[in-house]
Amino acid sequence: MLAAEYGFHFHTMYGEPYWDESAYYQFSLAQIENHIEDPTAEIHQMCLAVVDEVVNSEMLMKRFAIPTAHWDFVRQSWLNKEPSLYSRLDLVYDGVNPAKLLENNADTPTSLYESGFWQWLWLEHQVQEGHIARNADQFNSLQEKLVHRLGEIAQFYQVHEMHFACCKDTEEDRGTVQYLQDCASEAGIEDKFVYVEDIGLSENGLFTDTADNPLMSCFKLYPWEFMLSESYGDHLETADTNWVEPPWKAILSNKALLPMLWQRFPNHPNLLPSYFSDDAHRVSSNEKWIKKPLFSREGANISLLDNGEEQVLSEGPYGEEGFILQAYSPLPKFDGNHTLIGSWLVDDMPAGISIREDKSPITQDLSRYLPHVIL
Amino acid sequence: MATQKRSKHINLRRMRKAFALKPLAVGVAGVLLSACSDDRQDARIYTSLDECKIDNPDAIAQCDAAYQTALDEAARTSPRYTTENDCEHEFGANQCQYVNNNQGSFFMPFMAGFMVSQLLSPSRYYSQPLYTSYSPYSSYRSRWVTADGYVFDGDIRKRNYRVRPDAFKPKPTVTRTMSRGGFGSSVRAKSSWGSSSRSGSWGS
Repeated sequence: MLAAEYGFHFHTMYGEPYWDESAYYQFSLAQIENHIEDPTAEIHQMCLAVVDEVVNSEMLMKRFAIPTAHWDFVRQSWLNKEPSLYSRLDLVYDGVNPAKLLENNADTPTSLYESGFWQWLWLEHQVQEGHIARNADQFNSLQEKLVHRLGEIAQFYQVHEMHFACCKDTEEDRGTVQYLQDCASEAGIEDKFVYVEDIGLSENGLFTDTADNPLMSCFKLYPWEFMLSESYGDHLETADTNWVEPPWKAILSNKALLPMLWQRFPNHPNLLPSYFSDDAHRVSSNEKWIKKPLFSREGANISLLDNGEEQVLSEGPYGEEGFILQAYSPLPKFDGNHTLIGSWLVDDMPAGISIREDKSPITQDLSRYLPHVIL
Repeated sequence: MATQKRSKHINLRRMRKAFALKPLAVGVAGVLLSACSDDRQDARIYTSLDECKIDNPDAIAQCDAAYQTALDEAARTSPRYTTENDCEHEFGANQCQYVNNNQGSFFMPFMAGFMVSQLLSPSRYYSQPLYTSYSPYSSYRSRWVTADGYVFDGDIRKRNYRVRPDAFKPKPTVTRTMSRGGFGSSVRAKSSWGSSSRSGSWGS
């Protein structure tokens, strides 16, 4: 009922409860601040250092499979300091040992609404009904920061309105984008929506919505690697749309980031050993490694290398751009479920966590979402 | 307690989805309200043409025009429902009309008022239709709401607001859209592959 009131339409997926209100995770403030918040800020800065290096190196741009025609486009967006909205670092964290970075979802992270709004509302209700102590807190300033950041972005580009786009036929993505529209609206920005597939090109070379309004500024829940390679990719530079996330996120969201981080910050406590797959000879074959494509979504095309044997864990359409290897680090198990921490950043500020559970030690896309408290 | 680590306040009204029952279509016209802008201008809500004329005896013609603009906008942008029941659930008994035109046939609420701004300005006035609800099931009950579901502060007795002028400015128009569909092909290619992908999301 409450869910319907707030337009939360996707709480089951393939028959699995995506959202489980009966259970929650509890952290101490020290765990949150020392093990998650501070490392999140630090990892993000390390990632930005890698981006800065990549945009200035043709060799690395090639390594990151950025199409040659778009090198300048991506590089310029970094040099212009085009503002980023948000990212989600996926962390393996067992509550005791240093959190390890699994991936950086810096371009199109989802489960934002569940985290920023729904989880927050859940705590308010639990406390009101006396199920959870009144002094309970939550690491979740996501919504507050999103509203503020969207306002900053509008100011950066000197605009009062912003388009928001996602693909057709996905209720989850539409929900995420609607949430950001609500946040933008709260920031005093006029929000408009267009489906990615409906974006048009005008005779003067601008991208347009279905009412022929130009996309001056547009948040897109659609991966940069797709946009760069599709037919309108050729018009990106001249169309002059202010994209959120900005084009340099093509580097930050790329899995080539992981071996680069390990090269630049070897043995950092929050990193897992990682290599480009053509450096596989540097990898000890009596350890377990996860092989992932440079670009992939939803945990697709992942293999486990165990003692030199490759076992396919998930199939998928990705991998043509190459693969990376990452030391196998199984998700910790609590109460029979494997737990993955999504640690959010808004711009460069840690902004909260979301917790997803899975029956498998390697996260797939059918993860249940759980709220958390700090006590 | 140390510094709170969660959002201090969330505007729940904003997060409530516009319509309890999903209309077939909602318009995108809307007035933008902003609490932080100094250059907002006065806007006034009238519930009838006569009310406008009595309030503005020197602007009878402008009232006529503003009223007509609002009616035209209402016809174009008002929320639409397939059944009278759905519409009345949101707006109350006898608050909906049946419309059958070149956009299809559906039920839409009657315009309950219109908001005007700069009526006496020689250059241009602004006018838009507003709705209200008499339904006990609706979060719009006794409130002013725009075609796209923006709910104004206060109840329907409140008639004066300050609104941001740039919301009234005509948006830049492009000459003509020559093609569509140049983005999204990767989705078609990758999703034809099927498998366990979660409700087709392209997020991660």
